[in-house]
Amino acid sequence: MEPVIQVDHLKKYFSTPRGMLHAVDDVSFTIEKGKTLGVVGESGCGKSTLGRTIIHLHEATAGKISLEGEDVTKLSRKALREAREKMQIIFQDPYSSLDPRKTIRSTITEPLKVSGKMSKAEIEIKADDLMELVGIDQRLRLAYPHELDGGRRQRVGIARALALDPKFVVCDEPVSALDVSIQAQVLNLLKLLQESKGLTYMFVTHDMSVVKHISDDICVMYLGQVVEKCESKELFRNPMHPYTKALLSAIPSTNIHNPMKREILYGEITSPINPKPGCRFATRCKFATEACSQPQIQEEVSAGHFVSCCRIKELG
Amino acid sequence: MDKVTKFLSVKDLVVEYASDGETVHAVNGVSLEVERGKTLGLVGETGAGKTTIAKAILRILPDVGCKIRKGEVYLDGEDILKLHENEMRKIRGNKISMIFQDPMTALNPVQRIGEQIAEVVKLHNDEHVNPEDRAKEMLEIVGIPAERYYEYPHQFSGGMKQRVVIAIALACNPDLLLADEPTTALDVTIQAQVLDLIGDLRKKYNTSMLLITHDLGVVAQVCDNVAVIYAGNIIEYGTKEQIFDHPSHPYTKGLFGAIPDMNEDEEWLHPIEGLPPDPTNLPAGCAFAPRCNYACEVCMKEAIEVAKTTDGHDCRCCRLAEIAREEE
Repeated sequence: MEPVIQVDHLKKYFSTPRGMLHAVDDVSFTIEKGKTLGVVGESGCGKSTLGRTIIHLHEATAGKISLEGEDVTKLSRKALREAREKMQIIFQDPYSSLDPRKTIRSTITEPLKVSGKMSKAEIEIKADDLMELVGIDQRLRLAYPHELDGGRRQRVGIARALALDPKFVVCDEPVSALDVSIQAQVLNLLKLLQESKGLTYMFVTHDMSVVKHISDDICVMYLGQVVEKCESKELFRNPMHPYTKALLSAIPSTNIHNPMKREILYGEITSPINPKPGCRFATRCKFATEACSQPQIQEEVSAGHFVSCCRIKELG
Repeated sequence: MDKVTKFLSVKDLVVEYASDGETVHAVNGVSLEVERGKTLGLVGETGAGKTTIAKAILRILPDVGCKIRKGEVYLDGEDILKLHENEMRKIRGNKISMIFQDPMTALNPVQRIGEQIAEVVKLHNDEHVNPEDRAKEMLEIVGIPAERYYEYPHQFSGGMKQRVVIAIALACNPDLLLADEPTTALDVTIQAQVLDLIGDLRKKYNTSMLLITHDLGVVAQVCDNVAVIYAGNIIEYGTKEQIFDHPSHPYTKGLFGAIPDMNEDEEWLHPIEGLPPDPTNLPAGCAFAPRCNYACEVCMKEAIEVAKTTDGHDCRCCRLAEIAREEE
């Protein structure tokens, strides 16, 4: 099957007074139609920047992004606008990502108006459909964001992202700001929409239990690089990279009788500004050796399971 | 129960805020107890009144628009809500201290971090202790080299800032620590470090702790007892084993059900439908009744009394028998 999204050797650097910040450094993956790629990592690992660069909210420093086989890395303004209708984003913070002075209705219809493909009457019908789709009462059509709770606001964000029937949606921590009881409502909604519309998701989050629940495949990122990539089930059954292992063991489990042995990481976190060529996790890794100061090569350790760690064979 | 037996004992606390001419019923008759050296986890969602309870204990609620309507807070047998402000000042930071949620805003950005730790020591200790020495010692205890005494908060990462906040809170060896979501703003690997650190220090100094969190995983790791709070009311109370092995209240069950399970593959999650009630307009009966699958007429109309299930396992629900029967 042809992938909806293909990313090849994508890089995004930001220039800072102290040097180049390597936010995304040589990331490659593909996502097939109707699937979800989970991207996990801690704050500052570049996962949000990756999502934003793919849908062209940031311009890529190097690398190639293809959407349904079409290279969207270097597009003219007009072509980019067309392409953007196919790729949308749901933002993390439902409080700051909605215009406080726009009604719910006008937030949802804005993409439709901007695209200029529908008549006023069609837009009205589409807006009704969208509100029903994400479960917002019609009585709230003229409400403002401050009148809504976090869960409903996030539903508005979802309706806005789906207004133009995109193929690919970046979900950038869409449930992190919500309480667990509401988080489950929104996760179910996202899954339902994916099934009914055949959407392809890239789901960015720091929450391992959420990413396990929603993803087909998972990339684990550390300081701009993918350290491990495989099927979701495989990652939780058989994590290989020392960072992934530490990350999984750090999650507080609700199992009180059989607590997992926690692995505490020590050592300084490497700076993402002008990083040295070697493994970026080496400063905190208890297995680090001389060889870790060399650039790491991503290896397919078992079918579909990729790890970037030169010591993986010895550790296994 | 005799009030003196427990180290901290909050009785029937009611706190209200005034907002736009309306009354926000933030805390509605909360009673809880913490034994010496033990940890009570206070679990609930946004707006349930968790932080308000901690601030009421420490008496740092805003003067304007906020009122402790009712209630007593006994620390070591003394009702600290009745103390004069001057007396209270001697308690804050000394006998009781608080770890705030957000390390990014809890520190003064224009004061050296060492001085921020030394300040507490200066206020509360006698002349025998050199505040600067003590501050350096605290830095080392929380795993920060003492040389960094002279640096400013912006030179530290989030995890290190939170460790500084913990150093401030523990500098005077408090008897009671109020930890308000101490690790919520941190990454999981850093959270593991910080929880470990708090645990070690508490063991060393036999400190009691009230841990406020929404994360059931953190509660499972850290707490001895658990209180689940909903709309300003404790709806279930028991030991960690009682709450995690036999959650009784429909809300507690719902909370456990809503978390994606790391050990199982389930297609759909089980959210609690509906929304928490508006705190300016709470339902007459059980606050959870509008979202509860088991709610009956009584739940909608009458205030629900606490049902004691097994030893010390309290649950504010009048339908427990029916729910148990239905589950069989």
